[in-house]
Amino acid sequence: MTEEKRPKNRLNKRFDKLRDREIHGYNPNDSGGRAFKKLKSNRLAVIGLIFVILTISASIFAPFVTQYDPQKVDLRSMLKPPSSDHILGTDKIGRDVFARIIYGGRISILVGLGSALGAALIGVSIGAYTGYRGGWWDSIFLRISEIVMSFPQIILVLLLVSILGQSLMNLIIIFTLTGWGSLYRMTRAQMLSLREEEYVQALRAFGLSRTMICYKHILPNALGPIMVNITLSTAMFILQEAGLSFLGLGVPLNIPTWGNILNVAQDLRILQNYWWVWLPSGITISFFVLAVNFVGDGLRDSTDPTLQG
Amino acid sequence: MILVISFLIYLGLELTPGDAVSFMLPPDALMNIKPAELEQIRDSLGLNQPFIVRYFLWLGGVIQGDFGYSLASGVPIKDIVLDRLPATLELSISALILSSILGVIFGTISALYRGSITDNCFTFFGMLGVSVPEFIFGLIALVIFALNLRWLPVGQRILPGYDSYWDHMPHLIMPAGVLALMMTAGVMRYSRSSMLDSLNKEFIRTARSKGVPEWRVNFIHGLRVALIPIVVLIGFRFPMLIGGTVIIEQVFQWPGVGELFVFNVRSQNYPLVMMVAFLSVIAVLLASFLIDLFTALLDPRVKLE
Repeated sequence: MTEEKRPKNRLNKRFDKLRDREIHGYNPNDSGGRAFKKLKSNRLAVIGLIFVILTISASIFAPFVTQYDPQKVDLRSMLKPPSSDHILGTDKIGRDVFARIIYGGRISILVGLGSALGAALIGVSIGAYTGYRGGWWDSIFLRISEIVMSFPQIILVLLLVSILGQSLMNLIIIFTLTGWGSLYRMTRAQMLSLREEEYVQALRAFGLSRTMICYKHILPNALGPIMVNITLSTAMFILQEAGLSFLGLGVPLNIPTWGNILNVAQDLRILQNYWWVWLPSGITISFFVLAVNFVGDGLRDSTDPTLQG
Repeated sequence: MILVISFLIYLGLELTPGDAVSFMLPPDALMNIKPAELEQIRDSLGLNQPFIVRYFLWLGGVIQGDFGYSLASGVPIKDIVLDRLPATLELSISALILSSILGVIFGTISALYRGSITDNCFTFFGMLGVSVPEFIFGLIALVIFALNLRWLPVGQRILPGYDSYWDHMPHLIMPAGVLALMMTAGVMRYSRSSMLDSLNKEFIRTARSKGVPEWRVNFIHGLRVALIPIVVLIGFRFPMLIGGTVIIEQVFQWPGVGELFVFNVRSQNYPLVMMVAFLSVIAVLLASFLIDLFTALLDPRVKLE
C-alpha cells in the first residue's frame, strides 16, 4: 500500500463518518434544497418554468407535435387562415405556420442558450481568474471588456455579421464575443469581494495553487448570481436573434427561427391582412422571454443570501 | 481608448469579405472593365496602400472632420450622416425624455403604493415591456394605428409639401412612442427599487419625525436621493437606445442613421459602416461623461476630479 495510513483517533473517525454521509447525499444544511423550496413558492417563477419546459420539449419533440414539415412548400394552400387543418394557417408559400414556430423554437432557443453558455464560459473563467489574481492581467481584461461594452451591442453584432457572414454557428460565436462583458464584470466583482474572506487566506496558507483556490473554492460561492445572469442573458440573446433575423441579418432565412418568421412582417400587405403569419411567432417570443425572465427573477430571489429569510 | 477602438474598427472592416469596387459599378459595367482600369479605380480610392498607412491617413482625416467618401455613391460620408442625424436625434431624444419622465413617475408611484394593485399592474407591465421585442410592439402599433384606424401615417418622415417644422410630428409619434414605452419599462423597474431603497433610509424617518408633510418627505427627501442611481442607469441604457433606434427605424422606415447603418451593412459599404459605428461609440462615451457630470450635480457627496 502506497498510501500512508492515518492514525486511528477519534477526530479522524468522526471526519470519515461525516464524509460518508455527504457522499451518500445527506447534508444537514443543504442550501440547494432551501433555494429550491423558495423557488417553488414563487408562483410566477413556477408558471414561467413550466412554460419554458413545455416550449422546449415541444420543439425538441416537434415531429410528434405536428405532422407538417416546416420547410415544405405547398403552393395550393398559400396564406390560408387558421383552420382545423393548419392550426395557425399557412404563410406566403404555403408552409404551416404552427410547424414553423415549433421547429423555429429549436434554433431560437439553441442560439439563446448556446450564446449565454458560451458567454458564461469566457466571462466566468476569465473573470474568476483575473479577479482573484489582480495585477496587470486584470487591468488588460478589464480594458478589453470596456472596449467591447462601449459599443452599442447591436451595432457591434451587425458589424461582425457583415464580417463573418450569416450562419447559425457564426451568430452564436458573435453573440458570445459581444455578450461576455457583463458576465465577466459580475464574476470579477464577486471575486474581488470573496477573495478577502478568511477561508481564502486559510487556503493560501495551506499552499493551494491559485487555480485551485479560485475555481474550486471561491467560484462555487459566486455561482448563484452567475446562474441568474446566464438565465437572463439567454432571454436577451433570444430577443437579439429575433431582432437581427427581423432585419434579415440573423440566421439565414431558409432556416425557420422565431425571428425569421417575423421577417415577412416587413411587408405591409402581410402585416395588415395576414396577421396569423407573424403575430403568433411574436407572441411566442414574448411569452418565452417573459417566462425565462420570471424564472431568472425567481432564481435571484431564492439564491440571493441577502434576501434569505 | 478611442484610439484603440478606432484601430479595431478599421481592422475589422478591412477584413470584410467582398471587394469594395464591385459595389460601385453596375454588374454589366464590371464585366466589361479591364484589369488595368480596375487597378486605377482601386488606386484612386486608396485601396492599394499598406494597411497601417491607410489607417493613419484615415485617422488624420477623421480628426479634421473628413470622414472619407461613401463607396457606393462617392458622396462625402459627413454629408450623408449629417443629413440623417437630425432624424435620429429627434427620435432618440424624444424617446429618452419621455421614457425618463414616465419611468420615474410610474416607478415612484409603484414604490409609494407598494403591494397594492397599482403596484402589481405596473410591475407586470414592466416585465412585459422588458420581454416583448420592440419591433413586435412597433408592428402591432403600426397595424392598429396606421393601417386599421388610419390615425397616423405609415412610416417615412418628411414628405414633399411639408413646409413648417411641426408638419411631420404625426410621423414621429409612433416610433418615438414605441421606443419610449420599451425604455420606460426598464427605467420604471429600476426607479421602483431605488425609491424603495431610499425610503428605507434613516433620514426619511428623521424627516417624518420632524413633522415634514408626507409629500415633501416622499418627493423632496426620498426622490432626490433615489434619482441618482436612476440617472446613472439612464446613462447606461444609452447604448440600448441606439440599438433600439436601429430596429425601430427599420420598422417605421424612419430615415435616420440606424436605417442607413443597416442598409450599408447589407451592401458592405465599409467607410460608412465604420464611421457610423465609430460615431456611436463616441456618442456612448460622451453620454457616460455627461452622466458623471450630472451625478455630481445631483449628489453633493460625489466630487469631480
